[in-house]
Order: sequence, then structure tokens, then C-alpha cells
Amino acid sequence: MPTRHVSPDALLEQRIRELAQPTRLPDGRELPVLPFYCVKDLARAQGRTRLHGQHEQGKPAGQCVARVERAALSLGVCPERYLRNFEAYSLEEQLRLLSAHVALVGLGGLGGYVLELLARAGVGAVRAADGDEFCPSNLNRQLYATRRSLGGYKAAAAAARLTLVNPAVAFEPVARFLDEADMGRFLAGAGLCLDALGGLKDRAALARQAALAGIPLVTAAVAGQSGLVATVLPGGKVPAEFFGVGAGAEDSQGTPAPAVATAASLMAGEALNILCGRGARLAGKMLVFDLGQMSFETVTL
Amino acid sequence: MKITVKCFASLSRFTPPEADAYPIVPGDTAGSVVQRLGIPPNDLKLVFVNGTHAPLSAPLAAGDRLGLFPAVGGG
Repeated sequence: MPTRHVSPDALLEQRIRELAQPTRLPDGRELPVLPFYCVKDLARAQGRTRLHGQHEQGKPAGQCVARVERAALSLGVCPERYLRNFEAYSLEEQLRLLSAHVALVGLGGLGGYVLELLARAGVGAVRAADGDEFCPSNLNRQLYATRRSLGGYKAAAAAARLTLVNPAVAFEPVARFLDEADMGRFLAGAGLCLDALGGLKDRAALARQAALAGIPLVTAAVAGQSGLVATVLPGGKVPAEFFGVGAGAEDSQGTPAPAVATAASLMAGEALNILCGRGARLAGKMLVFDLGQMSFETVTL
Repeated sequence: MKITVKCFASLSRFTPPEADAYPIVPGDTAGSVVQRLGIPPNDLKLVFVNGTHAPLSAPLAAGDRLGLFPAVGGG
């Protein structure tokens, strides 16, 4: 075959077509799937192409994995790791997710779970900031707080986790607390901002900066068994602005894991809705829940 | 006339025993019910009547749902 005149992109597409396996879904439908280890092999080969024929062994570069996955999705072939996203996120939407860039502020209770869910969903690029270090009181709820990570930076633990969960995600950890000026720079290039901050002090500033950047903000907060999730479009109403900057109810009610993980899951679900291009379901609204009563309600702000 | 009252997070301790059928009188507003429940004004940040943000002066009618929210910021 005259591969000498074939562009690297065309060659990759050809290899994907050759390696795609018709796969039967549990409901009987068939879908072409690129097996997990084929993605890895093709990503390694991408590395070789970039290094002008030098043989690359071991772990393929994350950006090469992402390139292969995007190429497969463009051809209507589902990378195996996203197979169970199928129907929830169409292949076109999955490709949109892999091309998306989000900014996440806070890597504690909410942020850890949000990051995990976005990474597994295949969001292409995540920049995340938290200057905090893990302490024992984080162990009740924070996904990346373990006996081993205590004392380490939350941003570093998140980065280590992401390489295990999904190397295709371009993850940029920032182990610093952001002031309002930092936030503006931090949001540059992002299509969506996630407010996973703890406490009320910085939330209004983040909402201002997201509005200035012209991007939607998905925000959540928890106290005891109760929590809220909302989307703020630029110029829209901000829950934190009703709350002021004083103490929140979490000071007396705590932040138990089920409420935190529930709020984080709702945040991630809404973020993925927006990134897929389906529109914000919680714009101008607030989903409030109480796990003590098992009640959920969406209210208008 | 009865309404339902839902108090979130730290306000849940003000939940009346008859929260699903809380009696109101003609002229009652969100604010008058909040006062009767003994909720300190500074602790209440958001009021919802029938799922929509409302001022304390919002009048209440039979069957209304009153939701009361403190400041919530945990993460």
C-alpha cells in the first residue's frame, strides 16, 4: 500500500477503520467500537510519528490518546472506554466533550467528585485550582483524601488520580488559592466554570469573573443533609449573592459525604448538559435537595 | 387554611410539627409565618413561595408551599 503519500491523519483514520470492532450493545444494537488497547497502541504510534520514527514504548502521551479518541469519534467509532456513555451522550456529543475546556475552582469535597465524573465522561481539558493541603477532617467526604494523601496538595493528588482514570484529559493543576485577579486569568480559554469552593468568601467574586469571561458558571453548596446546585449565565442571579460572605449553615451542620457527592453529581450532570450543547437546565434556577427528607425541588431564583 | 413549610439545613430545627399542613390566617405573609416560627431574621437568606423566589411581604394562600433557606456554602 502506498503509505508514503498518505497524511498522518488519513493513516490514523485508516487504522481506526481497520481496528474498529462491530459490537453488540446490551439492547441488541450494533456499534463500531475501538477496543481500549487499540487506542493505546494507536496513541503510541502517534507518539512515534511526532518523534520522527523514534520508537516510543510504555505509556502513550495523554494528548496522543485524546487525538486517537477524537479521530475515532469523528468517524462514528466509539472508543471502548466511552461505550456505556452511549445514548446518554451521542458520539457527536462525546466528541464535543473531548474538545471542551473547563475551569474548576476547588478540589475538596465537591471538586474531587466533580473532577472524577468529568474525567470519566471524557471532558478534554480541565484546569483546576486549590491551594489547600489534605487534613484529617477532609477524610469524611473528599474523594482524593486518603491516609496516604494527608498533608499533600489537593491539586497534586487530583493530578495523580487523573493519570489513572483518564489520560486523555489534559489536566492543569494549580496548587494556589486564587484571588479575584487570579480568577480572571484562570478562566481564560475555558468554556465553562465550576464553583466547587468551600465557604462563601470567594463565591461571588468567582461569579463576577465568570460573567466577565462571558461563560456559564455551575455552582453548588452543601450544609448538613441539604444542598443546592445552580447555573449562572452571565448577568444571571447568583445564589451566593443572597447569602453574603459570613458563616454558612455548614459551620453548624457539617458537610457529610452523601450530600456533597449528590451536589457534585448534579453539578457534573449539568456541566455535561452545557458542554454537549443542550443548554443549561438550571439557568436562573436552583435545585435544592434534602437527603434527610429525600426531597428534591427546582426553584426559580 | 393550610400551607406546607420546608425549612432547609440549619433552619430545619424551626420546622413545625404540622409542616405539611401548617395553619395560616387571612393576611398572613411569608414574613409573618417566619416570625411565628421563631426564625431569626439574619439566619434567613432565601424565601420561596410555590417554588419561586419571593419577598417576605409575599401574601400566602391555602395550599401554598413555603421554602426557607439559610446561607449555605459548604463544599
